Amino acid sequence: MNDVAVLGGGMTLFRRRLKETGKELSFQAAKMALEEAGIDNSDIDMVVMGSAPCAFDGIHMKGENLLDGAGAKDKPYVRVFNGGGTGVFAPIAGWWHVASGVADMVMVVCEEKMGGCYPHPQTAFQTIWDPILDRPLTPNLVWLFAMEMNRYMTKHNIKKEDIARVAVKNKKNAVGHPCAQLPDEKITVDDVLNSEMMAWPVNRLDISPPSDGASALIFCNEKKARQFTDDPVLVDGVGWNIASSMWTNRDLYFPQYVANAARMAYKMAGIRNPRKEIDFAEPYDPFTYKELHHMEGLLLCDKGEAPILTREGVTERDGDMPICPSGGLLGVGNPIAATMGQKICELYWQLAGKAGKRQIPGDPQVGVGQAWGDIMQMGTVMVLRR
Amino acid sequence: MTFLEKQTNPLDPVHYRGNLQVDNLYTSGAAGDRFFKHLMENDTFLASECKECGTVFFPPRLYCEDCFVEIPEENWFEVPAAGTVRLFTRAKLNTYGEKLEEPKIIALIDIEDTDGAHLGVIKSDEPDKDFMGKKVEAVLRPKKDREGTIKDILYFQVL
Repeated sequence: MNDVAVLGGGMTLFRRRLKETGKELSFQAAKMALEEAGIDNSDIDMVVMGSAPCAFDGIHMKGENLLDGAGAKDKPYVRVFNGGGTGVFAPIAGWWHVASGVADMVMVVCEEKMGGCYPHPQTAFQTIWDPILDRPLTPNLVWLFAMEMNRYMTKHNIKKEDIARVAVKNKKNAVGHPCAQLPDEKITVDDVLNSEMMAWPVNRLDISPPSDGASALIFCNEKKARQFTDDPVLVDGVGWNIASSMWTNRDLYFPQYVANAARMAYKMAGIRNPRKEIDFAEPYDPFTYKELHHMEGLLLCDKGEAPILTREGVTERDGDMPICPSGGLLGVGNPIAATMGQKICELYWQLAGKAGKRQIPGDPQVGVGQAWGDIMQMGTVMVLRR
Repeated sequence: MTFLEKQTNPLDPVHYRGNLQVDNLYTSGAAGDRFFKHLMENDTFLASECKECGTVFFPPRLYCEDCFVEIPEENWFEVPAAGTVRLFTRAKLNTYGEKLEEPKIIALIDIEDTDGAHLGVIKSDEPDKDFMGKKVEAVLRPKKDREGTIKDILYFQVL
């Protein structure tokens, strides 16, 4: 297998509604990544598109619609999609194009346009359920995740205020992010606890917002990357894993599928003690409790310990284990697949010392990013190292 | 084994009726916005030209998909709302397989002074003639009724 380096990243504004089409958003993100890498689109051998349900953009087979904006015209091209896991799975697919040797230089573009989906993007999720057993009861994902959050809190005796701290931290971290949709320097734990109760124990500020946006990342054969940089950021490990859709039959307090994916990635990266060997992490945080759930799934702490570390400040940007220094989905926004921008582009920017106001102190060497999706099923993980 | 039983009535098996309900408000995009706002006020089209390769895009686009460069606003210009029929078909049935009262003439029209083409409808007193290579012009809605959508082009007529 070839070693794979990251050469550059790009990310558009994340907003509830943007005027640009999906193609135009893809173009902007791709162009930024090419400029950061210092290359031209003609240098790109193959393109990977990551984009979640077609229903968001309202264009069936939207991969084919988006490709010219991703610079993929007349090139080998594929769209990958596994729900919320896509933001990290698409770069995994980009990695294997280069690792396998079929391409030297690959661009990954992730796009989502949720603002046009009415009455709410949540509508598109009405049909992910089993049509005979679940759908007649009109469930939605907020109700489902409220139950998972309840189970997590009950199992470990976690206070809601310790979970609310995640929203406060991430929205504050997002203040330094040029693309951020919901940064908030002044937000307090009480603001989160007093926001509208959507489905107990989930308040409105526990949830990331739907967004339009795109992000892009360029992967390169490590030997070739030496032409561009003496100190490349490398993909050290990748992992993915999925549980069945029979979520009813699992204990929801721990995301075992995330742990399976993390172990796969750590084994590839030669990481034996993730708590010591990993400097910072970007776990998927569409809901406050999910950041904590996923820190545990990524084996960065004991089960039930993540809220305690959060309360003690360990996960702050200047803490011992910074978590979501980008501002995450809660602060920067959640255009599903395009969250590759916070989860993997951010790892690259932090490791390359390009994170600007968001830069973690102390010269980080190893970071892990993760995404999560489907009906509490999918875990996707990538480790980058400088 | 049920696999070998022939099903003739879809309502025979135990079932639940549902649909995929998703409504969408599609944005025209940065380029589309400019194109349609122009069309609401004018009887001409806009096109955009990539200065690297010289391709003139219709509909106008924000970027060149070949050179992968942005096309700035100064490279946009007006072109006639007219063109030449490159391909056409005479549809007798609609999408649902129902017979149309009158055949519908669907054409791919190369727009004048551009490298782009438009999928349009031709209306003619002689619907059975050969439209290949014919010069056509757009018939637009009266300005006061224009909405900023592709439907502002009512149809094309042979010159």
